[in-house]
Amino acid sequence: MSEIIKEEGSNKSRGELLYESQQRRKRQFNTSVSLAWGFFLIILIYLFSGKSFLGFNTIKLDIDFIRQNMAFIAGGLYETLLISVLSIILATFLALIAALGRLSTSPPIYALSTFYVSLIRGTPLYLQIFFCFLALPQLGIVLPGLWAGVLALGVNYGAYMSEIFRAGLASVGKGQREAALAIGMTPGQTLRRVIMPQALRFAIPPMWNDFIAMTKDSALVAATGFVHEIMWRATKVGRAKFNNLEALIMAAIFYWAMTLILTYVQGRIEARLARGDR
Amino acid sequence: MAPIVRISNLEKYFGRLHVLRNVSLDIESREVVCLIGRSGSGKSTLLRCINFLEEPSHGTVELDGIKAEGGERGKHHRQQIHDLRLKTGMVFQEFNLFPHMSVLENVIEGPVIVKGMDRADAIALAKENLDSVGMLFKKDEYPDRLSGGQKQRVAIARALTMEPKVMLFDEPTSALDPELIGEVLNVMKNVAKDGMTMLVVTHEMGFARDVADRVLVMADGEIIEDAKPNNLFNKPKDPRTKALIDRYRTGGG
Repeated sequence: MSEIIKEEGSNKSRGELLYESQQRRKRQFNTSVSLAWGFFLIILIYLFSGKSFLGFNTIKLDIDFIRQNMAFIAGGLYETLLISVLSIILATFLALIAALGRLSTSPPIYALSTFYVSLIRGTPLYLQIFFCFLALPQLGIVLPGLWAGVLALGVNYGAYMSEIFRAGLASVGKGQREAALAIGMTPGQTLRRVIMPQALRFAIPPMWNDFIAMTKDSALVAATGFVHEIMWRATKVGRAKFNNLEALIMAAIFYWAMTLILTYVQGRIEARLARGDR
Repeated sequence: MAPIVRISNLEKYFGRLHVLRNVSLDIESREVVCLIGRSGSGKSTLLRCINFLEEPSHGTVELDGIKAEGGERGKHHRQQIHDLRLKTGMVFQEFNLFPHMSVLENVIEGPVIVKGMDRADAIALAKENLDSVGMLFKKDEYPDRLSGGQKQRVAIARALTMEPKVMLFDEPTSALDPELIGEVLNVMKNVAKDGMTMLVVTHEMGFARDVADRVLVMADGEIIEDAKPNNLFNKPKDPRTKALIDRYRTGGG
């Protein structure tokens, strides 16, 4: 059986043929999935086309309204991305500190870290956002709208992301720490030079996942009325002219498109990490 | 001349488990000492106590003028441990190369970060040591592209580049495929030939017989026999030593 069987008229080995047929099947599957996606998309678009189909009327949208307000809602993309980027930076910073706190042998530091994670995970994000916008001013802390949003989202995501970093740190084997200590590194050097780089690499895909989720959770900030991101703009124009359907659909398209792009980037990052170079 | 390593009355407990029982041991400079014994006899623990990867419960380790006491605490103690580690190089069973660094970066990491050596000097020294273990041609590769034997040779170069007084080997060939063991043992022979003081925990009886100046046998947390390899392998005194050697003779694990 181990002998390589050659097919007549072909100079490919059986293994090669087997591999090719596997590849072909994989490609066929991917093509079918893409086609089905396209089909669902067309149905969705058709549902909102306003044409009638077998006696059923599909949904008719106010095209003039869409045309007039497209630019206004699109203008919120910048604020949505800005608030997401700033929040994820704050969240990463807090998550790192909280994850390291969980490794600490000092009771107060360990307690502070678990306290933070518990408090934030134990209360709704929506509440935390309103807290930053409405409750902090009562204490004399008045933050500009954008920064209040960044504070709420960053503190919230930091608590959840600390678990990602914790898993990342745990994924680095204890032999790595021992090897670093054995060549005379201090615990701090070991953490910075050996443990962290490996833990971060492990944590990048789930962090990116959180960033994608954050771009949508940033819509909650609209409820406060102070940050003029996509959702705020959509509800503003929608309510004014009672065109909520059109306005929300436009917002949905922007969020979805943004997510598709970020997901594509995520795929590239993961492929790069999987290749094994830095 | 005073011995370069003096271990006195070492005790180690893991919880209630008594792993090292009053172990004392001197190693002379340039001596190659092999440590054999069944698994669980405490030989790896003894080795790891020398650079305090395991903190001894009690007892002292003296190494080239540095003295650290097991079970102590405080800044002075931490400094002693750090100094001990600078004077010892360690090679692990699982290699433990840093996967996010190239071969060369692995080797210069210690000298540059720990000793503050000039990068160019560190690279020159690292290249010399990589060459001596036959791994210079892979200096820009990442560890996951190397075979086990190659990884272990790089790990030896990494330890040597710290210019230690004593090299500690913790079962350096136990994780290797049989056909890769020879290349690592050859490198270790060369290190011994260059006059390095070595303490080697191993199951390779051939290496112990050919290269070691002394062979120690451990059982139940004690050194039960300490002899020149010829005497030990031909006229073992303790019945446990005899049983151990016979097991290897008959090819048993």
